[in-house]
Amino acid sequence: MRRLKNIWVFADKASSLAELCAGGRQLGENVAAVVLGGEETARQAIEQGADQVYWLGLKAEDKMLEDYTRTIAGLLEKHRPELFLLNAGRRTKVVAGRLAALFATSAITDAMQFVIGENGDLQIARLVYGGLAIRLEKPLSAMAIATVGNGVFKAAADGSNRQGTVTEVPWVEDGCRLKLLERRARDTEPVDLAAAARVVGVGRGIGKEEGLAMVYALARQLKAEVACTRPLAEGEKWMSPERYIGVSGTMIKPDMYLALGISGQIQHMTGVNKARVIIAVNKDINAPIFEQSDYGLVGDLYKIIPALLKSRL
Amino acid sequence: MKVIVCYKIVPEEANIEINQDGSLSFANAEWKLSQYDLNAVEAAMQLVEAVGGSVTALTVGDQKIENSKLKKSILARGPEDLYLVKDERLKRADTHLTAAVLAAAVAYIGFDLVLCGEGSSDFYAQQVGIQLGELLQVPVINAVSKITPAGDRLIIERTLEDEIETLELSLPAVLAVTADINVTRLPGMKEILAAGKKPVTEWDLHKIGIRHAGPRVEEVSTLAPEQVARKKILVEGDSEPKIAEFLDYIRKELK
Ligand SMILES: Cc1cc2nc3c(=O)[nH]c(=O)nc-3n(C[C@H](O)[C@H](O)[C@H](O)COP(=O)(O)OP(=O)(O)OC[C@H]3O[C@@H](n4cnc5c(N)ncnc54)[C@H](O)[C@@H]3O)c2cc1C
Ligand SMILES: Nc1ncnc2c1ncn2[C@@H]1O[C@H](COP(=O)(O)O)[C@@H](O)[C@H]1O
Repeated sequence: MRRLKNIWVFADKASSLAELCAGGRQLGENVAAVVLGGEETARQAIEQGADQVYWLGLKAEDKMLEDYTRTIAGLLEKHRPELFLLNAGRRTKVVAGRLAALFATSAITDAMQFVIGENGDLQIARLVYGGLAIRLEKPLSAMAIATVGNGVFKAAADGSNRQGTVTEVPWVEDGCRLKLLERRARDTEPVDLAAAARVVGVGRGIGKEEGLAMVYALARQLKAEVACTRPLAEGEKWMSPERYIGVSGTMIKPDMYLALGISGQIQHMTGVNKARVIIAVNKDINAPIFEQSDYGLVGDLYKIIPALLKSRL
Repeated sequence: MKVIVCYKIVPEEANIEINQDGSLSFANAEWKLSQYDLNAVEAAMQLVEAVGGSVTALTVGDQKIENSKLKKSILARGPEDLYLVKDERLKRADTHLTAAVLAAAVAYIGFDLVLCGEGSSDFYAQQVGIQLGELLQVPVINAVSKITPAGDRLIIERTLEDEIETLELSLPAVLAVTADINVTRLPGMKEILAAGKKPVTEWDLHKIGIRHAGPRVEEVSTLAPEQVARKKILVEGDSEPKIAEFLDYIRKELK
């Protein structure tokens, strides 16, 4: 594959920075990383693949990550890379969007693949229509901006012998006009659905929160992780957001996916359609999920789950 | 407070068809209001119900946005008037062009606050609102899960991956709200009838001073990925023998 000349990267998580530095190496001849964090992180970026680090220092307590947008814009303006990569997160999407506006371009979000053609053209793939299709797009601006999903690039194994420069960069007034009043940690649940061999997914068909108890019991019996559809995590808040599967949630590839009371809309199925076996229980014979399953049972969860539990599956 | 809500008209995913070569056919697709924009409309209504003012709806796109059912459907949710910027060059416009057109339109209409949805159902770029705010050079932020008016300012709560932030900002501003900021109301017959009588203004790009409507990204292809072939074995009914039959299949697979 041909390579671009200059790629810049920025991330708000250490693991993402490592992936983007490695991705930059894969796609470009020269990689520069903008680092907001400790000196150690700045040095690590070089080991991970950066040739130059532009170090913004530790994030100030009274600032948000987004408040560094103008500072980054100043660097990009000066160095004009062909591609600027950020990890895909809520904050970085603000940075990407504001930069896109400042540089009169479109940011491509949640990129899943980068291709450089024979003529050196860059093409970027992303999911559209809830995951129904992959759209390949070619940036037409001098600098392309993209946010990149987790795992698109693999962090480099060992770069402890790599050399690079670190340049300190002062913060530039952002005109951000948003005042940070308070910040509190959110309860998150450490769960690695992507690593689970078996997953039991539950949807709105469960009807009430108490119904989840039998779903958890069934999952235990199957040695499976429990997951859900977006409305269960978001609207109902019966499960943590880390547990919802789909195009805007977690994408999984288990050996078995058991879908309970899930209609099978594209946004959800995009997250599971690489499972080896898909099994569905739904009371509606016309539910789209049956078209996308290996085995389906048409019936009421409140009869079927207890029967499955009794059968010691 | 003068609030403008931006909503997008999108195809119903369930009836987009996949051609033999993997390309998509929209021939039988119904067009609808982008799902999460309904939460933006509801947030605008709640804000104005609390502090007074008006809600205006705005969409930009090709001729599909003119559909009278869709116009009624947005107005029935509460906005008092509607602006459309219609131009064939806006068909599948990228986020930059969309934001640039919206920026020109909201400047003409006048506003204190612009609300956008979390992301459009078709492209889900989660970008248009952010770019719009920066183009207008006003405070802009996403992931807004709560809005509390405080005089000429707003206090907002932002739900991020691992923290919740409280911010204060001055108006005018642009906010993108989360899909779970509220539960949307279904309009009743009365609202639907009233919607037909609300004023609708239609502009083209020329009218809002946009001469160049060039894209910043070019679509190379849009193709459905190959799907794993599924067995589609269906057992109908939840009687004991049926459940036993289903169990047999599963046992074989999980061995
Ligand atoms: C931009 C965008 C992104 C999205 N991203 C995601 C995503 O990442 N993940 C996701 O999951 N969703 C996502 N969604 C939402 C998605 O479109 C669907 O709304 C959602 O997946 C539906 O969830 P569900 O199947 O639980 O609910 P429903 O569609 O309401 O289905 C419930 C099902 O349960 C069945 N049922 C009811 N009672 C019983 C019973 N007693 N026994 C058996 N079956 C029963 C019904 O027949 C029905 O089929 C997204 C939407 C948008 C617009
Ligand atoms: N064509 C459009 N007309 C009006 N508003 C739009 C349009 N496209 C996007 N938006 C708004 O911008 C938000 C984000 O869209 P997107 O960046 O495409 O995910 C949507 O939820 C809408 O509020």
